[in-house]
Amino acid sequence: MTTMFSTAFRPLGSDRIDPFLVVLWIALIAIALIWVAPIIFIVFTSLKTNADVMGTGAFTPPPELFTQNYPDAWQRGNFATRFANSVIITLVKVPVGLMLSAMAAYALARITLKGKKLLLLLVLFGTMIPFQVMLAPLFTLVNSMGLLNTRLGLFLPYIAFGVPYQVFVLHGFFKEVPHELSEAALMDGASHFTIFRRIFLPISLPILAALLILDFVSTWNEFAMALVLLLDSKMWTLPLSLMVFQGEFGSEYGPLNAAIVTTVLPAVIVYLIFQRYFVGGLTSGAVKG
Amino acid sequence: MASVHIQNARKTFGDSTVLHDVSVDMDDGSFVVLVGPSGCGKSTLLRMIAGLETISGGDISIGGKSVNRLAPKDRDIAMVFQSYALYPQMTVAQNMGFSLELIGAKKPEIATKVEHAAKILGLEPLLSRYPRQLSGGQRQRVAMGRAIVRDPKVFLFDEPLSNLDAKLRVQMRAEIKALQKRLGTTTIYVTHDQIEAMTMADKIVVMRDGKVEQIGAPLDLYDRPANTFVASFIGSPSMNFIEGVVANDGKTFFAGAEKLGIPIPLCPAQAVGKAVLLGVRPEHIVIDREAGVPAEVWVVEPTGAETHLVVSLGGAQVTCVLKERISLQEGQTVPLAFDASLCHFFDPQTTLRLV
Repeated sequence: MTTMFSTAFRPLGSDRIDPFLVVLWIALIAIALIWVAPIIFIVFTSLKTNADVMGTGAFTPPPELFTQNYPDAWQRGNFATRFANSVIITLVKVPVGLMLSAMAAYALARITLKGKKLLLLLVLFGTMIPFQVMLAPLFTLVNSMGLLNTRLGLFLPYIAFGVPYQVFVLHGFFKEVPHELSEAALMDGASHFTIFRRIFLPISLPILAALLILDFVSTWNEFAMALVLLLDSKMWTLPLSLMVFQGEFGSEYGPLNAAIVTTVLPAVIVYLIFQRYFVGGLTSGAVKG
Repeated sequence: MASVHIQNARKTFGDSTVLHDVSVDMDDGSFVVLVGPSGCGKSTLLRMIAGLETISGGDISIGGKSVNRLAPKDRDIAMVFQSYALYPQMTVAQNMGFSLELIGAKKPEIATKVEHAAKILGLEPLLSRYPRQLSGGQRQRVAMGRAIVRDPKVFLFDEPLSNLDAKLRVQMRAEIKALQKRLGTTTIYVTHDQIEAMTMADKIVVMRDGKVEQIGAPLDLYDRPANTFVASFIGSPSMNFIEGVVANDGKTFFAGAEKLGIPIPLCPAQAVGKAVLLGVRPEHIVIDREAGVPAEVWVVEPTGAETHLVVSLGGAQVTCVLKERISLQEGQTVPLAFDASLCHFFDPQTTLRLV
């Protein structure tokens, strides 16, 4: 504890406590508590019996671990199907979307093309339209294509709404890659596709990892579009099934919170895996040798 | 190996022309240096030879074959970039073998060629390292290794030493020259450093504002510069130019506004009685206590090996490099003489050399 105080509150090499650092630490701890509070609440509640939920405080640890909520939630929420729906949509959409974005960003950043700026502007325009505005026309469009209640019907709009932001970020990154690097590859006999695959993709791995995390989480958690385009509850994704809990088991907070934990867990795992990689990639590139 | 011929090569970007009808012949196996100040078009010319820039007019041929419409990879050339442009995610061996991999060479063949190049460059212990783990000089060698493994017809170097410190630059200069002699591959080398050009080249192409000012062997350019630009660009410190008039007898030069008479018995016939620019290299000025003309010392710069003097000669500022150590103070007068056989005369209007 002493050593923590001796380093955390003092500027490097100084033996005086810096009040600004103390304030920073207090702010940091306060923010961390605010973020972690609902998570603690959810996890604790998911492990309580209904009686315990009513009888104990929200942040009181469960008197005894009641794990039955999880199988209950799994069954009542029809998670076997919906989990699979979410997994399939996310696992297909995220890599495909990211790959499309990367290729588009490469083309916009590196291939000589007339009207390139206009194209980029058009793509970026996509990031500026709130998707709520598009929900009604989107429904009509998907319906007219006969794709309501299908995975493809959700997959295509997901791609369309995910690509612009990723293109924006990757285009900015690719543009900064030294031209000499692609020219060297060109001299070595590489085609554009080879340069993209062998040079640009490997060096942008940290940024791809960051985009993958963001996209995975937002796709996994997406609610509104799925709600509009998936009318058949058999095709529902996980966030939609939480809605059912809210209605049917209004008073049963245990299973509801167990369902929330089950829904959130994959996103957290993916985040943890790629976050480590993301940080590793960043530091290896940042230090100039 | 191949010769390179550039015939009336022109490059325009929109309305502005950056290269005006450049023609250069480069012999098979020669080391040609393109030199000139920033923005003179030397890198553009190199990139046109490489195929990284299109050719707006004229013709470039490598080994007797026009390459105007060939992609860089089909020109059989290798290029070393100023920033080295090593692939950061590949090891040294992978960097060097990348081009062979792309043409579908077998792994054992790639390994053999990479090892061979690594041996030439002393890179063997570094083959499994990544570029970020290498020093500047080592990266430079890897960039050359990447060029060597391909065994191309022509090597192109784009200011490869400008990111290195002064000491390493001198060392790498000698290494590149020795390597070129050993491999015998035609080499085109771009630099803005005239010392690099002088020390490495078989042939120097001096460029300015998109035009070739003079082409020749290093010492030819030093001894017989075609105009004042080449005269001032080649040699360090650069040549002194003194405005003045040659006397009617052709044996005296009246320098500057003060019309200080300097005896130069070998003035060319075209210059007699006319206003000319006299060019004298700093190292061709000597102290002559009997026949020297007095000059006022402005600055004394001892470098150890020699002494640099900046003096006022008839009102003109003149730099001298003296081999001996002399103790002089600012404000003193020193008697200076020029070696008449080493003086250059230029037309002040056209800046061209008077024979």
